[in-house]
Amino acid sequence: MDLRFTPADEAFRAEVRAWLRDHLVGDYAALGGAGRPGREHEGLDVRMAWERELGAAGWIGLDWPRQHGGREATLLQQVIFHEEYAAAGAPGRVNHVGEQLLAPTVLAYGTDAQKRRFLPGILRGTELWCQGYSEPDAGSDLAAVRTQARLDGDVWRIDGQKVWTSLAEHADWTFAVVRSEPGSERHKGLSYLLVPMDQPGVEIRPIVQITGTSEFSEVFFSDAVTAAENIVGAPGDGWRVALGTLAFERGVATLGQQIGFARELEEIADSARASGAIDDPEIADRIATAFCELRVLRFNALRTLAGDPTAAAGAASVAKLLWAPWHQRLGELAIDVRGVETTLAASGDGYALDGDQALWLYTRSDTIYAGSNEIQRNIIAERMLGLPRG
Amino acid sequence: MDFAFTEDQQELRAVVRAFLARRARSEQVRAGWEPATWAQLIEQLELTGVALPEAVGGAGASFVEAGIALEEIGRALLPAPYLPTVVGATALAATPELQARVVAGDAIGLALDARDPLRAVASATARAAGDDGDSPPLLDGVAPQVLDGALARLFVVAARDAAGEPALYAVEAGARGVRVVARPTVDQTRGQAALHLSAAPAVRLSAPGEGAAALARLGETLWVAQALEAVGVGDRALSETVAYLKERVQFGRVLGSFQALRHRCADLAAELEGARATAHYAAWAVDGAPQELAVTAPLAKAVCAQAASRVAAEAIQLHGGIGFTWEHDAHLWFKRAKATEQLYGTPRALRRLAAERAGLLRAA
Repeated sequence: MDLRFTPADEAFRAEVRAWLRDHLVGDYAALGGAGRPGREHEGLDVRMAWERELGAAGWIGLDWPRQHGGREATLLQQVIFHEEYAAAGAPGRVNHVGEQLLAPTVLAYGTDAQKRRFLPGILRGTELWCQGYSEPDAGSDLAAVRTQARLDGDVWRIDGQKVWTSLAEHADWTFAVVRSEPGSERHKGLSYLLVPMDQPGVEIRPIVQITGTSEFSEVFFSDAVTAAENIVGAPGDGWRVALGTLAFERGVATLGQQIGFARELEEIADSARASGAIDDPEIADRIATAFCELRVLRFNALRTLAGDPTAAAGAASVAKLLWAPWHQRLGELAIDVRGVETTLAASGDGYALDGDQALWLYTRSDTIYAGSNEIQRNIIAERMLGLPRG
Repeated sequence: MDFAFTEDQQELRAVVRAFLARRARSEQVRAGWEPATWAQLIEQLELTGVALPEAVGGAGASFVEAGIALEEIGRALLPAPYLPTVVGATALAATPELQARVVAGDAIGLALDARDPLRAVASATARAAGDDGDSPPLLDGVAPQVLDGALARLFVVAARDAAGEPALYAVEAGARGVRVVARPTVDQTRGQAALHLSAAPAVRLSAPGEGAAALARLGETLWVAQALEAVGVGDRALSETVAYLKERVQFGRVLGSFQALRHRCADLAAELEGARATAHYAAWAVDGAPQELAVTAPLAKAVCAQAASRVAAEAIQLHGGIGFTWEHDAHLWFKRAKATEQLYGTPRALRRLAAERAGLLRAA
């Protein structure tokens, strides 16, 4: 057990920091935290340019094999990259879904032709991806997917609906879990298709959230098509590939996320000190508690990322159960520190919320998305504790 | 960065756990202090010297190894003065002869303020008339709650020196002017005693001008040790509860298949995993990054003690009626966990301290 970063890691950190210092300037720096959760809808054109800038400098696909343009970075180096990225106040990434979910799936399950076709666009930041998993009747229960696909000559024809799709309007492609065997049930008969978004058979409708803004969409497929070869894995093997994609979420951005959390907490504490709210012992304890628990999130993430194998089973679910309610409590704290003035909207123009109000409302989604916390509890109960299913 | 325990450390944990499975069964824990078990802990497992230098007979390992023992001993609720002894030993760097006695099994009592371990409980008097300058300093004071004080051969005392500055002293349990009065405890697996010092001869442990730092370091090490022990207690309570829920049948099903109970266990497991990561990090920091302890140690104690308390309280509920009986061990975990919360700074006080030291709150 040695919890220091190695000299090689520190050198990598210095390289990342120096590059960000030199390149995160002008329009890019002006974005601030745009694109972070709750602000996914902001500054998209500049963020897409920034993604290409990152790609040109080799900061995308850090862990990919060299033959596909990666630098075979270690897990901790990826963590360091995200930490420095967040610390620099760089904007939210537009192609997290492509880089962190689709690319590892193609690398693991894709054909050589698929790797040649799809990886370069992600690596250069020129092709954006969105995820086509959830449906109106398949949220936590992904195996209830109903969107249909049938092979018609040299194309798949797709009909159905996906929902809760981030960045759907800007994505060039989606990876969709579809039912390719009529009459099949549950996790059998599913396929994992790569579908171009820019076609008449794909319609996108933004979902207005409780914040009044839209970061997610519904995606309707009406006789949408994709080439027959755009299937990852065999027909009917989509469940295995889809779960593989979810398993690639290794939490390399966790420490970066926590830097954002720390910034939010500091702003709340600053506000409480300025207003005198901090003299309320209850408020002071909630700030102190949030501070301590944020450190717990960090130690827990380090334990998982830096390889304590006893932390592996269910670790991602544990992390979610710790951070999502933490962030929700922070949103409540932001409101309670300021008090009654937060019942007024920032302006009468539309539904304009200030940062604290947006945080308070947006964080209600933290315990729902990426596997609701109830699903995470099921996973922990089964995989970590070995409790029988009901 | 490597958060994994080494093979040697994993082996140490396995050996200690196996030893305690034989030597700290429920009836043995309830019978209280057993000198023969302590002797084996010293002679076979060499646990009191695990983090002490080889020059004094120790194993020369780090506080991580002591932490593994603390966690396992907490898990077993072994009635033995291990925690105050390994913590107190870290204050003996300047007195190798005292460290050697710890390696050989002399238990240490921590004469600290049980509410706030950073405050002095005694004061050193100016030398007696006719003193030729070689006589030891004499201590006066009372420490009303010393963990396992009746078993201590040596006390580490937080005091003010003759100049009024904080300092650490060692006092022999058998010295003149030392009176130890055992006190009954609610957590019967761990004793307490009142220590009365009346012109008791002492050995100064901290150099002049370094007493406050030495006392701070001792307090931080103590909080880390409490955190580790609490994680052991919580782990025991949760694992026994989960095992029970896999066996107990009601309504024709094992209880552990009811989602209401599964989800509660999952919440407890998540809280405990966070606490475990925190305690392990803090254990490493004692030797690996001591500059981080000012913040990490108090928060580790706060987080881990509270996690253990929650798990132990839920363990009673999830066991149902049997969990409320004297016969079942659930009350032992529950009482230990609460005692750990209360002793040496409550979670609320330590959270505040950590946040103040991090600059997030103003000092009260």
